Amino acid sequence: MTTGAPVEDLLRELAPRVLGTLVRRHGQFDACEDAVQEALLSAALQWPKEGIPENPRAWLVSVASRRLVDEWRSQSARRRREETAGVLDLAGQSEPSDADDALTLLFLCCHPSLSAPSQLALTLRAVGGLTTAEIATAFLVPEATMAQRISRAKQSIKSSGLGFALPPDEERADRLRVVLQVLYLIFNEGYTTSAGPTLQRTDLTSEAIRLTRLLLQVLPEEGETAGLLALMLLTDARRAARTDADGSVVPLAEQQRDRWNAAQIVEGIALVTRTLGKRPVGPYQLQAAIAAVHDEAATAEATDWPQILAIYHVLEQVSPSPVVTLNRAVALAMVNGPRAGLALLGTLDGDERMQHTHRLESVRAHLLELAGETAAARESYQRAARRTASIPEQRYLALRAARLA
Amino acid sequence: MKYMLMMFGSQASMMEQQSPEWIREMIDFMHTLNSDLTRSGELVAAVGLTDGTQAKRVSLQNGIPVATDGPFAEAKESIVGYWMVDVESEARAIEIASRVVAFIGPVGAPPLEVRQVADAPPEV
Repeated sequence: MTTGAPVEDLLRELAPRVLGTLVRRHGQFDACEDAVQEALLSAALQWPKEGIPENPRAWLVSVASRRLVDEWRSQSARRRREETAGVLDLAGQSEPSDADDALTLLFLCCHPSLSAPSQLALTLRAVGGLTTAEIATAFLVPEATMAQRISRAKQSIKSSGLGFALPPDEERADRLRVVLQVLYLIFNEGYTTSAGPTLQRTDLTSEAIRLTRLLLQVLPEEGETAGLLALMLLTDARRAARTDADGSVVPLAEQQRDRWNAAQIVEGIALVTRTLGKRPVGPYQLQAAIAAVHDEAATAEATDWPQILAIYHVLEQVSPSPVVTLNRAVALAMVNGPRAGLALLGTLDGDERMQHTHRLESVRAHLLELAGETAAARESYQRAARRTASIPEQRYLALRAARLA
Repeated sequence: MKYMLMMFGSQASMMEQQSPEWIREMIDFMHTLNSDLTRSGELVAAVGLTDGTQAKRVSLQNGIPVATDGPFAEAKESIVGYWMVDVESEARAIEIASRVVAFIGPVGAPPLEVRQVADAPPEV
């Protein structure tokens, strides 16, 4: 997906702007999307041979519009007259910037009426400019399945009559939250694959970072957007150290920190520093701040756990969830000892939301091991291994258990 | 022709009885096998399932489909994962299965099952 080829990078950057412009002018998201994909394909074939046109965006808009008109010609004459009139009307209006179009498009693809898998797929295709085949590969599903998922998503947009406009002010904060959530899901899908033999799918991770950067360019004042980008950069910075040669998990405390990506850490920390304290603080900024404290420590022992514990405390107020409590228990154990952490974990035991994840058992196992309760730790690791859906994690946990035998 | 190589038992409980060295060797073995099959162009899919204790059964109760936790088939009858390979012959599929069995058989894993995948007739 990210081959670094200049034409491909340029096309991916222009894709959402061109599609946004078309949908704003003509409506019909699904037809415009098809036309833009065809225009992108033509460009990918022609530009490397004939050179990049002087105004590549205008070239794409005009080729895609021509496809759209061709498509209409083949439909009924009455319909064509209506649409053409519509086009002429709109063409005279003042044009918003194409960055606004890309933002509107992102809001549309992340509309709350779509299912999460549809939001992800549509965002990657319409905003990310990926082909259906590339998205299918990234999600490890057959191309036909992904094509169907995308076409159903486009159908829902069509049938729900969603207009191409930014959400009204009163809905904007909620809608932005969904957009950020979709971008974070794409990132996590790439970072911790939820299933399958390999732990990381790099392409989705870099794509999520690229799209979040795009969003931040358009909405530079949104603290949570900056927070999310920082969180992604600071997490992804550890990518090379997170797995060993055979693809197994290396926990944070055991990672070779000189393999972390220093440039990403610098950028992430700068973003966090710029946003924290200035704006109402949100969960992504706080999680980014925690990641920054980890990334700043030259060794695992040098980690400033009291500060991490303090930030988790704030995070639990701002955005309480069992996962936050779980992480706070780890920090608490590092500050006040494993028993304190285990006591806090105990409060999560009956929690329904923790039933289908291995993480509670996995953290408990670590803390029991730290507390010297070897037999209980071993059982806990084994319970966690049976619960995880990730094969590398299953093997990691089984190994930890076996070491304690 | 395509074959499915099915592995049974419980990977988690199998690993629970083994030494860290064996687990490391097993991880290496699976990596090597999958990359060999990828390189030879024979691998279609390699899928591992989560532990059987996490599974649900959907059955008809008083005419209504109901999902329940267990009871499950004996662990040795429960599928833990499969490879789908596209190979020249059944003999080659059996050869690949033999490599797996030679590794996991000695620690008491149940036999692998090799089944041909039903293909649609070639299109003309």
